Amino acid sequence: MGFLRKLLGNRDRIEDTSNKNQGQQPNQPSSKKLSENVEYLLNEFKRTDDLKIRAMNNGQAVLMYFEPLVDQEKIQQNIFNPLEMGHVEHISEIPNARSSENLEEMIPTLLRGHAIYMEDGSSTITRFNVTSVFNRNVEEPQNEKIVRGSHDGFIENLMINLNLIRKKIEHRDLVVKYFKVGKKTNTNIAIVYMDGIADPEIVQKLEKRIKSISVDMIQSPGYLEEFIEDNPYSPFPQMLNTERPDRVVANIMEGRIALMAEGSPTALIAPSTFFMFYQASDDYNARWYTGTFVRLVRLASFIIAIGMPAFYIAVISFHYEVLPDELLLPVKSSINEIAYPPILEALIMVVIIELIRESGIRLPSPVGQTIGIVGGLVIGDAVVRAGLVSNLMVIVVALTAIASFVVPSNELSTTLRLMTFPLIILAGTFGFLGIVFGFLFLTVHLTRLESFGVPYFAPVAPLNINDLKDTFVRLPLFMMKKRPKDAHPLQEKAMGESREWVQHEQDNNKN
Amino acid sequence: MSKTTIKTKLSRRQYFFIIVQTEIGVGILSLPYDLHSQAKQDGWISLLIGGVLLQIVLLVIWLIAKRYPDKDFFQINEAVFSKWIGKGISLLYIAYFSMVSMVLLLLFVRLISLWVLPQTPFWILSLLMILVCLYLASGGINVMARFYTFVSVLLIVLLGFVVYSLKDSQIVFLFPILNDGWVPVIKGANEAVLSFFGFIISLVIYSKVEGSPAQRLRTIFYAHWFVVLFYLFTVITSFTFFSTVEMSFIQEPLLYMLKSFDFTIVARLDLFFLSIWVVNVATTLTTYVYMTGLGLTDVFGTKKTTPSYIIAAFIILVPPLFIGYNMERVDQFNNFVVWMGYIFSVAFLFIIYFISLIRGSLQKGGAS
Amino acid sequence: MKRKWLGILICLTLLTGCWDTRQFKDIKLVLAIGFDQNEDGGVTETVSIPTVRRSTEGPANETVQVLTTEGKTPREARDHTDQMIANTFDPSKAKVILMGEELAKNSIQPIFDQFYRNPNNNLNAYIAVVEGKAEDAIRISPPNDPGISKYVSGLLEGQINATHSTGENIEVLHGELLEPGIDFAVPLLKVDKEQNLLNFEGLALFHNDAYSGEFIPNHQTTLLMLLEGIRGKVASFTIKVTDEEENAIRNYLTFRVMRNIQDMKVKVENNQVKVDINVKMKVRVVEYPRNHLTSKKTIIDLNEKLSELLTEQSEEIIAVIQEANSDVFQVGRNVQSYHPDYWKKVNWEEEFPNITIKPTIEVDIVQYGVIS
Repeated sequence: MGFLRKLLGNRDRIEDTSNKNQGQQPNQPSSKKLSENVEYLLNEFKRTDDLKIRAMNNGQAVLMYFEPLVDQEKIQQNIFNPLEMGHVEHISEIPNARSSENLEEMIPTLLRGHAIYMEDGSSTITRFNVTSVFNRNVEEPQNEKIVRGSHDGFIENLMINLNLIRKKIEHRDLVVKYFKVGKKTNTNIAIVYMDGIADPEIVQKLEKRIKSISVDMIQSPGYLEEFIEDNPYSPFPQMLNTERPDRVVANIMEGRIALMAEGSPTALIAPSTFFMFYQASDDYNARWYTGTFVRLVRLASFIIAIGMPAFYIAVISFHYEVLPDELLLPVKSSINEIAYPPILEALIMVVIIELIRESGIRLPSPVGQTIGIVGGLVIGDAVVRAGLVSNLMVIVVALTAIASFVVPSNELSTTLRLMTFPLIILAGTFGFLGIVFGFLFLTVHLTRLESFGVPYFAPVAPLNINDLKDTFVRLPLFMMKKRPKDAHPLQEKAMGESREWVQHEQDNNKN
Repeated sequence: MSKTTIKTKLSRRQYFFIIVQTEIGVGILSLPYDLHSQAKQDGWISLLIGGVLLQIVLLVIWLIAKRYPDKDFFQINEAVFSKWIGKGISLLYIAYFSMVSMVLLLLFVRLISLWVLPQTPFWILSLLMILVCLYLASGGINVMARFYTFVSVLLIVLLGFVVYSLKDSQIVFLFPILNDGWVPVIKGANEAVLSFFGFIISLVIYSKVEGSPAQRLRTIFYAHWFVVLFYLFTVITSFTFFSTVEMSFIQEPLLYMLKSFDFTIVARLDLFFLSIWVVNVATTLTTYVYMTGLGLTDVFGTKKTTPSYIIAAFIILVPPLFIGYNMERVDQFNNFVVWMGYIFSVAFLFIIYFISLIRGSLQKGGAS
Repeated sequence: MKRKWLGILICLTLLTGCWDTRQFKDIKLVLAIGFDQNEDGGVTETVSIPTVRRSTEGPANETVQVLTTEGKTPREARDHTDQMIANTFDPSKAKVILMGEELAKNSIQPIFDQFYRNPNNNLNAYIAVVEGKAEDAIRISPPNDPGISKYVSGLLEGQINATHSTGENIEVLHGELLEPGIDFAVPLLKVDKEQNLLNFEGLALFHNDAYSGEFIPNHQTTLLMLLEGIRGKVASFTIKVTDEEENAIRNYLTFRVMRNIQDMKVKVENNQVKVDINVKMKVRVVEYPRNHLTSKKTIIDLNEKLSELLTEQSEEIIAVIQEANSDVFQVGRNVQSYHPDYWKKVNWEEEFPNITIKPTIEVDIVQYGVIS
């Protein structure tokens, strides 16, 4: 008996999860008169024309739905087929129907693409899920291609995205939490993390920040980012931005939290560190020597992207003594006849490159290529021949641009190109000293920056020697037994002894 | 979380690097010259003597700090001398710290103008420097500690430059040892002590560091001897690189010896050395800005810390603007501050210690 | 608040302009400088200014302009040069500094003061003394090399590699100029007007900061370098080992030094400084047409013979050095370091020509090529 009661009791308490977040919604009991109900809904929706009313039973009942949101076939299959086949007597007995007596509740339901059925003389409203969904394939994201590894990517549907993550982490500790953000857009936001690994304090912090957002519209995580990040005045992105499920999964397993929104394929990862932007999935799929080498190249590209034009300007207009004897005359001959001072030269070239890039992005790819050729080859060549810019400066700026594109994250790449300007100006005013001051400001800023209370420049500042294994280099995976400390994981150990078999085999061979 | 990270204590490694980065500063470039001007080729002995002598002062610092494990330096003053006298003494210390910062700023800009930017006006260079320091110091001691640890990589680069110049050194220039007796060597020790004057930071932030008192004492000593050895290495390298007579003309031997090296990629290593040295100056100056600002916060009991750092930076920036490149006045001011240094960084510490001892025994007596 | 500060900072930075810019393109680079003494005690400065004009296609064409000016001091002469050329003159990257014989015999320290005082200068310029006038040397236009600086520095680097010269730059020179008890030797060049070339004559011996007038001729410079313990990439000797053969070529042996160990001992005995310089070298025979080196005995004989001959030569060199009173072995500094009491007693400048320097050279043939 007790067992049965328990079962029944439990059943009583179970509710639709979708109602959970809407407990405090205004209640508008439906009336028994059909026309009143229909009128109420029509008024609430401002008599929009795409709200379809389908009269049934000689006007004794109606089926209401938003025409663009529903799938006609589903209506046929889910509602009319069972009726026609005679499986059910009444429409409310159809298995996937749910009923309610709250008219106000029907508004979000309709907006979600459900159909509702109302009858004259009954206050019960029955609703059916007949949403139509248009999805792209889970293709590899264009902006984060890799050579080896999984080639799927997030799409605009949150459920599919979560599916991709759940499929990769089949564990009970994976927690998804929904939020509705945007007073008018009612965008679905989900945060995903591993309970027991992610720091609950950071989770709480993130929840609190999301809840305190009060805006009419949320479009994408990029929109969300500025509301919840620690230091919105910093040029550096404080949350990693990715469309790759494998990257998200790896970060979740490090104890970080992913934040996703309906209608956007981008996931935000918090807390992030500077060096996370330099890691790519490829690093872990390749041999670790290659991974290390590529990563070193990437980090070198950071220095080149930020400092190279500044260094060149400082050398050319302040400290040409540092040129070795062999380079003196070649450099001198290349810049001798240039009309403008180097700082202006550099600014012109950097701006030209930005122009070419920006115009290339928006145009369809055949035209974009033409722009690249016209911009890169024709302008580059002509500008040197005309004597406006020295060919060395062209080399320097082109190298800088290439170096800035090496960063796997587009966000950081843009930031880097922006950081070149103050450094160019400082170098043009104070020479090396200006560059040093520029870098000082930059590193102090990076050390001060925190992402969700976690130092942004970890593991370099604060120094954590253990985590350097996956920062400048990538050591073999079995050597990274601990999760990086910067995400404050509750559980440090990420793997046990995984190569014990070596010892076993050696022992076996001895015997 | 951000609040809790600020509250977390410094690790001993960070403590080590704070002390090291504070002590190694403006002086390193001219230290060999200063030692040489007093003690000739025996300057390195002076340096060792200075290092050993300071060991005693560091011990006193530790003894003071150990008695007040959860108070910073200015709070200790109030605890030792009673509230108002303590605040007065703290103010004197604030004045001392800000004056040291001014000297640092003056010497820094003078050197920069001498070596790289002769035409650039004083105010812009000092402003840039103080802005960096203000930005760093207002981040709090934890951010400073992180930064100092990070930039300590540059010390290795500096060391690399110096090691490279060893190839042209001649050991013959270190001889004869003690030819003129001990008197000049002792005089030289005075110069040596000067170059360590940043050690007071170990007292000021002692309470913010984790670990048992013995562990912290060990860290202080390690940091101190690291600096001594670092200095010793640079001094010996420049003494063996330059001949004895030449040394007496060259004010910044570390820079001078790098001038002639020519690699296939770059020449003039001294410019790079100078650029890295700027970082060391910035860390030293930041510590003083921090100490001044911390003192102001403690003395006036303000809740917000940033305004006191801004005030500190302002106090430090303005007076040097009136001194500028005037060498004579810089030197006068420098000498004055050096004597203040002996009073505040050495003599006064003993006084504080004895008074705290007396008070301690009095209280014990009263209690029993 | 933060943004306001940032704005102020940016405005200040932009408004302040650039005080110390020295645009590389606006500067007349001077890579070779020659100094001569003129009649009224002043200085004649000759500079060679290369100008490279790169057309957009094809090779750069390079022209060299040579200017000679006079002044009371080197700096004044430089100002006079400045008054004659477009833009400004900049010697900070000077690669070669040549001194006329007459000037060198007088005193060279005043010439170099400006290089040491100015922080912009690279102190790695080579120095050399020119027989006659430095101006003539700067004015020759070598047919193969793009400019005189490249030519002279290449020539001197060749001498360093071949163990003919120490390769002193002006930074090293500074200490040697100032320090008592250390003298130095500088390459001596001679202008060959017919062939439009320079010729390495030997090492000019300096006493204090003046050329003594004596020099070690170029066939002995290698030995001098080895006595000082310095070896370039190659050190080779051609020595007449016998007079027996009719064919003159067969009388000679050429060898290369593979390893050398130099050891100098300075002793003070009975108020007399005694110096022993021991040089041990392991050598490889590269040319010896007379004999096959099959038997051990021949080799031992040759070793003895070569050692003896080289020691004799060394003694000659040392005699010249002592006559010139040029302490290139830094004996004086050694005495000062290890025998300070004696150093205080004597006047080293008078003492050096009288001290005993005994060279011993041991040659050991360890290789003789792929044929025996």
